[in-house]
Amino acid sequence: MKKYIVFIGLLLGLAMILGGCATGMMASSWPGVTADANNAYIAGGPYVYAVNLQTGAQVWRFPEKASVANPFFATPVLTSDGQLIVGGFDKKLYSLNPLTGQSTWQFTDARDRWIGGALVADGMIYAPNADYKLYALNLQGKLQWSFEADQAIWGTPISDGTNIYFGTLGRRVYAVNAQTGKQAWVQKVDGAVLGLPALGADHTLYVGSYGGTVYAMNTADGGTRWSAAASSWIWSGPVLDGSELYFGDAKGSFYAHPLTSTGQPWNQQLNGAIVGSPLVSADSIVVGTEAGNVYFMDRTGQNLHSVTVSGKVYATPVAAGSLVLVAPTDGDAILVALDQNGTIKWSFIPPK
Amino acid sequence: MWETIIVSPFTNALLMIYKLIGGNFGIAIILFTILIRLITHPLMVSQIKGSSKMQEMQSSKEWQDIQKKYKGDKEKLAQEQMKFYKEIGYNPLSSCLPSIIQIPIIFGLYQSIMRALAASPMQLLTLTRTVYPFFHIADIVPLNSKFLWMNLSQPERIYMFGVGIPLLALIVAITTYVQSKVTIPATANPNAQGAMMSKMMVLYMPLLLGYFALTFASGLSVYFIIGNLLGIAQYALVGKVNWAALLPGKKPAQALSARKK
Repeated sequence: MKKYIVFIGLLLGLAMILGGCATGMMASSWPGVTADANNAYIAGGPYVYAVNLQTGAQVWRFPEKASVANPFFATPVLTSDGQLIVGGFDKKLYSLNPLTGQSTWQFTDARDRWIGGALVADGMIYAPNADYKLYALNLQGKLQWSFEADQAIWGTPISDGTNIYFGTLGRRVYAVNAQTGKQAWVQKVDGAVLGLPALGADHTLYVGSYGGTVYAMNTADGGTRWSAAASSWIWSGPVLDGSELYFGDAKGSFYAHPLTSTGQPWNQQLNGAIVGSPLVSADSIVVGTEAGNVYFMDRTGQNLHSVTVSGKVYATPVAAGSLVLVAPTDGDAILVALDQNGTIKWSFIPPK
Repeated sequence: MWETIIVSPFTNALLMIYKLIGGNFGIAIILFTILIRLITHPLMVSQIKGSSKMQEMQSSKEWQDIQKKYKGDKEKLAQEQMKFYKEIGYNPLSSCLPSIIQIPIIFGLYQSIMRALAASPMQLLTLTRTVYPFFHIADIVPLNSKFLWMNLSQPERIYMFGVGIPLLALIVAITTYVQSKVTIPATANPNAQGAMMSKMMVLYMPLLLGYFALTFASGLSVYFIIGNLLGIAQYALVGKVNWAALLPGKKPAQALSARKK
């Protein structure tokens, strides 16, 4: 009998080790954050949390019972009619009440994980899924159309009112009609496109690629207006602010690329890979690095101040009133609020 | 250490094969499994021979006498067993060591498959840091994870009338059962310790691997199925496949005598 128990124990141990490997890998991404006037909302692993911006205390968390194998990492998005839209690794897209965390509807047609956050525009939800599809839903969660791309879509799309633009892991950028879901154009680039594109007023779409190139594309046909090479791969999309385009790469180089002939390009070498997009505000440019540093720079690239947080900063920093929210990975806290001087105001460590 | 010696070389070898064959990850897993089996074949042969010798030894009169004589004294029994091993020139590690060596290979291969598939952002980030400098990561990502009807990065299901049927998990369980059944040496003494363990292996291993196939990425299931088939082939090469064990109603001892005829 003892031998049976030992044998079964060994098999269970093997199952747990393999299971542990798998679960660990399945749950591997970094938090997505958004905020309104009162709360920050963070998709931070097994739960989606609402955190009070004044105190850093938890307001609610969703779901009631967490599943380690099915976490939430896609950036939540708020709708104009008071919904919080967030997708999980459980293949479901949820509408939550931002005040209570109660689910109002679920969209369950997708066949894979929700890695990228949804776009809410013109009374519609455009949600990208790893099953290669972009789903267009109305605000009641009813499917209006879906578009199948060549590969998984990890990045949040962007809209100019006519088309929805997004990149895929298959090294392609798509424009899809926002009303009908019909493809307007598709263009090949030199690497996977994982981040949110940026749109210029002059009908230019800016995307960063895993091949280490930033492309400026004509929104009418996807033709390349110009491209610029970085020193390594680019994960998140570039951010456009006036006539400057800002982006970082895996070697820690942070670039300002002027879109006018009078602007001065510059780049700053930071101390770790830059995975998230920068947060560009009137006062500063905020960039997080894999080394756990958060840099505050001015428009000329001068370092105003920096702060080190516990963990790796992969997620894009988010503005919430006067606060800058940073969501570290593998750190003590999953959300840290900084003021404009880089002082930590509070840290949110999820309760057990 | 684990990363440098096992996971990183395995992942790069998988990617190398993937590139060489023109971008089919399913075929890459199959070829890599064959490669690993070829490399570890001498160990496997040593294990097969060791197991056979163990079976012969446990059937011998001298061994049975020792068991009876020192039944109540475990310490003395162990000493006498070791003495007996020395006398006949048998190394007890020769049957289990090759199996033990294969365990890290299985874990490493599993991690490599999952890493190469890069089905989530952190996996892609890790893969980027794992690939050797001669690979250009932008050319590799994304891996073509579609193979036959499967997405290798997801657990496999065939949908019929809205119900997901885990076909691959069933094939994994069946091939594991067949492999266990035909490769476990027949014994004259079904109550011997080894025979009892073998019975448990035949019963539980298909369930365990079937559960893995049901739950984890189907790339792992492809590895299990090919590994099982190659395992049977390796036993067949050294003439140790006991097909008679698959026949209903055949007890191991009967199967043994059927094979001897």
